[in-house]
Amino acid sequence: MAFPSIQKMSLARREELAGYAFVIPWIIGFLVFTIGPMLASLYFSFTKYDIVTPPQWVGLDNYQKAFSGIWDAIRSGDPRQFGDPLFWKSLQVTLYYASLALPLNLIFSMFLAVLLNQKVPGVNVWRTIYFLPSIIAGVAVTLLWVRIFNPRLGILNPFLTNVFGIKSPPQWLGDPEWAVPALVIMSLWSVGGSMIIYLAGLQGVPTDLYDAAKVDGANAWQRFWNVTFPMMTPVIFYNLVLGMISTFQYFTQVYVATSNSLGGLGSPQHSTLFYNVYLYQNAFRYFDMGYASTLAWILFIIVLILTALIFRSSDVWVYYEGQLRGRG
Amino acid sequence: MKKITDYFRWLFNSGRGNELLSKSITTLILASGSILILIPFLFMITTSLKDPAQIRSDSMSMLPRKPKTAEVLGKDEPLYRVIFDGQTQELALIRKMPEGMGQFVEPTQPDIIHELKINDQKQLYRLDIHWENYPEAITAMPFWRYLGNTLIVTFVGMFGMLFSCSLVAYGFSRFRARWLNLLFLLLLSTIMLPSQVRLIPVYILFNKLGWVNSLLPLIIPQFFANAYDVFLLRQFFMTIPLELDDAAKIDGANPLQILMYIILPQARPALVSVGIFHFLYAWNDFYEPLIFLHTRENWTLAVGLQTFDAIYTINTHLIMAVSVLMIVPPILLFFFSQKIFTQGVVFSGIKG
Amino acid sequence: MKNKLFKLLALFAMASMVLAACSGDATEAPAEKQKVTILVGFGTGTDPDQVTAQEALAKKFNDSHDNITMEFLIVPNEEATERFLTMVSGGNAPQLVGPHGTSTIARFKEYWEDVTPYIEKDKYDFSDFYGPATTINTYPDLNAGIPLGIYPSFLFYNKDAFDAAGLDYPTHDYADTSWNIDALKETAMKLTLDANDKTPNDADFDPATIKQWGYADTWTDMRGQLTMFGAVDQGRPTTDDYKTATFNAPERLLGAQWIHDGVFKDHFIPDAAGQSAIDSTGADPFGSGQIAIWYSHTWFMSEGLNDLPFEYELAPLFYNQNGERIARIHADMFTMVKSADNKDAAWEVMKWLTDPEQIVDVCKIYGCLPARISTEAAYSDFLKERYPGIDYSVIFKAIDYLDSPHHEGWVPEWGKVNDALNNIQSILYTEPEADVQALLDQGNADLQKILDEYWASH
Repeated sequence: MAFPSIQKMSLARREELAGYAFVIPWIIGFLVFTIGPMLASLYFSFTKYDIVTPPQWVGLDNYQKAFSGIWDAIRSGDPRQFGDPLFWKSLQVTLYYASLALPLNLIFSMFLAVLLNQKVPGVNVWRTIYFLPSIIAGVAVTLLWVRIFNPRLGILNPFLTNVFGIKSPPQWLGDPEWAVPALVIMSLWSVGGSMIIYLAGLQGVPTDLYDAAKVDGANAWQRFWNVTFPMMTPVIFYNLVLGMISTFQYFTQVYVATSNSLGGLGSPQHSTLFYNVYLYQNAFRYFDMGYASTLAWILFIIVLILTALIFRSSDVWVYYEGQLRGRG
Repeated sequence: MKKITDYFRWLFNSGRGNELLSKSITTLILASGSILILIPFLFMITTSLKDPAQIRSDSMSMLPRKPKTAEVLGKDEPLYRVIFDGQTQELALIRKMPEGMGQFVEPTQPDIIHELKINDQKQLYRLDIHWENYPEAITAMPFWRYLGNTLIVTFVGMFGMLFSCSLVAYGFSRFRARWLNLLFLLLLSTIMLPSQVRLIPVYILFNKLGWVNSLLPLIIPQFFANAYDVFLLRQFFMTIPLELDDAAKIDGANPLQILMYIILPQARPALVSVGIFHFLYAWNDFYEPLIFLHTRENWTLAVGLQTFDAIYTINTHLIMAVSVLMIVPPILLFFFSQKIFTQGVVFSGIKG
Repeated sequence: MKNKLFKLLALFAMASMVLAACSGDATEAPAEKQKVTILVGFGTGTDPDQVTAQEALAKKFNDSHDNITMEFLIVPNEEATERFLTMVSGGNAPQLVGPHGTSTIARFKEYWEDVTPYIEKDKYDFSDFYGPATTINTYPDLNAGIPLGIYPSFLFYNKDAFDAAGLDYPTHDYADTSWNIDALKETAMKLTLDANDKTPNDADFDPATIKQWGYADTWTDMRGQLTMFGAVDQGRPTTDDYKTATFNAPERLLGAQWIHDGVFKDHFIPDAAGQSAIDSTGADPFGSGQIAIWYSHTWFMSEGLNDLPFEYELAPLFYNQNGERIARIHADMFTMVKSADNKDAAWEVMKWLTDPEQIVDVCKIYGCLPARISTEAAYSDFLKERYPGIDYSVIFKAIDYLDSPHHEGWVPEWGKVNDALNNIQSILYTEPEADVQALLDQGNADLQKILDEYWASH
């Protein structure tokens, strides 16, 4: 394809083409590696596919199965009226976990990043210590914490009883009420990962802004709220969006923690039946790849909508120093 | 005494006292938090040094230990510190009786039996560190081969990722174009679909390309950017003021030059973060490698670690040992890249 | 600047070329040799020392066969399913899968080749195999393979615990009908100790501090645990035609109630917290010293009986409430994959592995009892050497007992059925106030729903 002479193009047009040119590596990769499998799974969601026999088209049956019985269940208040009660249960478990893990992770990691940004002696050592947990492979972390949470033989409950005087500490992963909070605590141990993103973000806050604030007589909290926080909003935005996406797909830790326990995946009593766990069961235990793909695409839509909402809201609260104005 | 109070008064009045106070408080908070962070990690290390038999029967202990025993009539019996008749002695427990009682004897005088309540006595242990768990873990699998595979995948992938993601993030952050917003949303949407349902189609794809049973499926896609790193870099690029770009444009720089000489240097903390994250992800990833890496020769460390978690036996001590070893390179990498994080960025060139 | 860019691109190009050269299999088997791949990972076989032993076994085969090469493809258990499915759908299915038991064979029933034609062609003789080994994994429409090993079940008991409680050891006589469910309960209650060494028979017994339970039947699913109580369908919670759920049969209700009482009223069976406490140490329940009598199979022996800090022995399973003894049994084999090629070669390998000459060695790797009657003496010697001083007759006599229909046998939607019933199991062991009748009825209703959905589209 012959390009018209570059000089003849307008500045704006040149900028457009340059933009696309830089994005091309991703576009190629997308077309080769990603779009095929994604469309294949979309196709599967409209079929009955048990992997050993070829897929059979069933139209919207899978989607209908997931959403059937909504009115009956709401009217009677009985979750067993749902066409697929476990679909709704898994959504509930996932949302519960997200509502705890996301805010807590955000607050803790930012708090830590601010602390670790101070010129305290040995700060390199402190940073490495807090980062340490996120380096360990997820499987090992889960196995470690399963032992720590062990209500009879682990180290957490004796610690709670002897140090804090709590007479009967919870059964953690063995108790339907405490299983998800236990997983949240486990995730907080690895908060060092998001922490260093905030740390990197803090490096980008121009120090002359702090100087100006000090001159204006701002104290530490005011400096944080009026200088640090706004300048960090791009990174907070990143952690929020990605945190939400990954929280909704939480899987490995639950799999390692519950696949060999009494009641299997999602135990006790489905309290750890996360959405992706239920999806996995449908795909690889019940050999219902069609329904699993349906579940995947339903999740996709939910996360897409939530992400779009967060993006929309970003105009209000995210501040970019180098944001382009105008179209695009 | 007055001199001391004078000193403190001077400290606080000059503002240096506030700084000292805030630093001390910060250090205190960091230190107490570190203890909480490190305890599980310490547990991991001591578990890696335990005898598998101890993991079974005495797993609550933080220390690798073994019951102290003495030989009584040809058998090894556990020793207890026993107090009776006002004396403290070390006796061996040879038999457990109903009601929690036990028969204790002195190892050299097995005929004299004292019947005492077991719970009232203290069992004796000796430290029993099994350093050989580490060589055992290393020799139980082709450790060096796996390490080599892991390093190839990690570093080549990291290079490819940094290269491609810088380009793509630059495109998404510094240019006005009609479809860029939509493309960005499309980029993000690729990570919203759970990977389990793409597993089979992806496998078939790589199979058709002939890449199954090689390290290629883990490396080549990195050269085509990925949503996580592009998103992060884009956010960082957007915090860099446009004035620098404009100045360079006036000097006649083309977009690529702006990227390489203006943007990337400013974004060093972000590039380092992204590099570290990719390193960690590739270092610990086992799910997809397991599907694509056919024969054991091609496995990475993370996959090899999985073999210790078998269906009937979990070799906890070996899993912990390998996990501890696997932490070392990322830690070193992180520790030595701290410099980049401590370099604050001061936009001295913009003022005025 | 252009130089830098150029250099980068050149580096990239070189790197990818180098990698492309390194990719793929380095060795190509000669055209005439047929390749047989055995996927190991659904069951045992993934431990590092087992891997080495299997490689040696493959070498032995390859050295003695000119036209077939075989290899063991080891996959960690966590991803065996995904690996198998991707290989099958990707068109390079393994020829054989194993060793695995009834549950995996039932779960993947549509994937296996029926070896009946091969048996008839070779007029293969099954008379040397123990009866249960040949029937457990055989369905009217599928004979899944040649049996490899069996795992009879019996009780493991902790002699030191019995001594400490001043009790007589249980009988080893399979004909002694006084060793029944009530005798077990009585004995187990005396063997349960709390932190102060009180038993449930004492007034001040504290269930929250139990350090040793009298009896447990863990590492089995709900179907397995209720089998011993002798419902009409034994291990299968449906009628013969698989259309009606019979999960809440009276015998199962009695069994579930017995278990529930044993956990929450008489306290001699560990509850879910107790079980997970032991399991999450990575240890087995018996070796932890916290279970005095443990019901399990021989597959436990290969790893679990090493370096036990106490003396142990074996005893027959007790008789149930109807005076019958229904002891579960497992059987392992290699199975042939329907969609793979080189099936004739796969059949040869299957025969070789279960051949009287090899079967004992193969079983030593996987810790199973060889399924051939003629190898009983050789394997006995091995057992005497490995586990000195116990009563081996208990093991071999247990082979006479089996659960039929098997507790892991095929039902429609095997995975869904098991998950539904295991959910009931988890409630049974966690809720002290559970109404067992209602629980089983709910389980039955869930099961019926799954069956109805299945039959609506088949």
